Amino acid sequence: MSTGGAFGGNRGLRPIPPEKGIFPLDHLHECDAEKKEYLGCLKSSAHKSEQCRHLSKKYLQCRMAKYVFF
Amino acid sequence: MSWSKACRGTRISSYLENLHRTSQYPRTILCSRYYTHGACKSNEHYLRSKRVFWGSSSSWSLNSHSATAKSMLDSAHRQYSTHSPSETKSQKMLYYLTAVVFGMVGLTYAAVPLYRTFCQATGYGGTVQRKETVEEKIARHSESGTVTEREIVVQFNADVADGMQWKFTPTQREVRVKPGESALAFYTAENKSSAPITGVSTYNVTPMKAGVYFNKIQCFCFEEQRLLPGEQIDMPVFFYIDPEFETDPRMDGINNLILSYTFFKVSEENTTETVNNNNSVPVQETN
Repeated sequence: MSTGGAFGGNRGLRPIPPEKGIFPLDHLHECDAEKKEYLGCLKSSAHKSEQCRHLSKKYLQCRMAKYVFF
Repeated sequence: MSWSKACRGTRISSYLENLHRTSQYPRTILCSRYYTHGACKSNEHYLRSKRVFWGSSSSWSLNSHSATAKSMLDSAHRQYSTHSPSETKSQKMLYYLTAVVFGMVGLTYAAVPLYRTFCQATGYGGTVQRKETVEEKIARHSESGTVTEREIVVQFNADVADGMQWKFTPTQREVRVKPGESALAFYTAENKSSAPITGVSTYNVTPMKAGVYFNKIQCFCFEEQRLLPGEQIDMPVFFYIDPEFETDPRMDGINNLILSYTFFKVSEENTTETVNNNNSVPVQETN
């Protein structure tokens, strides 16, 4: 996508909704452990996301498993 | 002044010509013609000063007088015919100008759909043409084997609207990510009040021009999120920076992106979710 200075430019940029939609929030804190692992990994690896990619995958898998459809 | 008015009124254009040429006669001739009583003498003086005035202004007033007299004659004769060349020309001009006015007005009305089609065709100004999903994009880049080298630091910022009693902070200060890699980040929100509060958030990315390349795969924005009193919750954002970021020359100096979320309060009457307050498990709605 190319944007130009004209035609509104920065003002013309509209917020785009997320691709996969809204993340259902973990109100029941079921995946807290995975989250903490991921954050710990980030801190130790100087915030490089590549090294903690496997843990983020774990977290997402946990959420997918635990998410209850009403 | 009354004298000059009288002069004009009696159509003395030809006489005025004489007046202009021969300055000797006017005094006596004027007097004899237009003055029956002996007011000539007293007006002589007045006339002399008038002559100067006449002399200076008669050159143009003379022409205008004769011209107006002539045109009066002409128009009187040609009152009902519109065949004089100047009149048809001015009428044509009138039609043309009216047409231009209507044309302009019509163009402004037509500009709205025209602009829309133009934007969709060219995608200029950020209009979405056909959005390639992130999956397609990742598949395409993995196929073509693009290697990204620039590390971009994505920092997080969290804001809460005034009067909203939530504590909203990013859980990590920053994430270092390369374009083309998806990354996960967390925000923490806590409801510090004693009543359930529903909030909706919006985001933005600075610098603005880099926002085009920032794709969110999943986030918690644009939907109402309800927090019970005292509840703390983690809100994840799953995002991805387009590998085309590296090849864009305008992004050359940009190595820092700031993702900023702001939460606004939603008044309780507007919520469409029906929640049983006694039940501790809230109803969650996805898109």
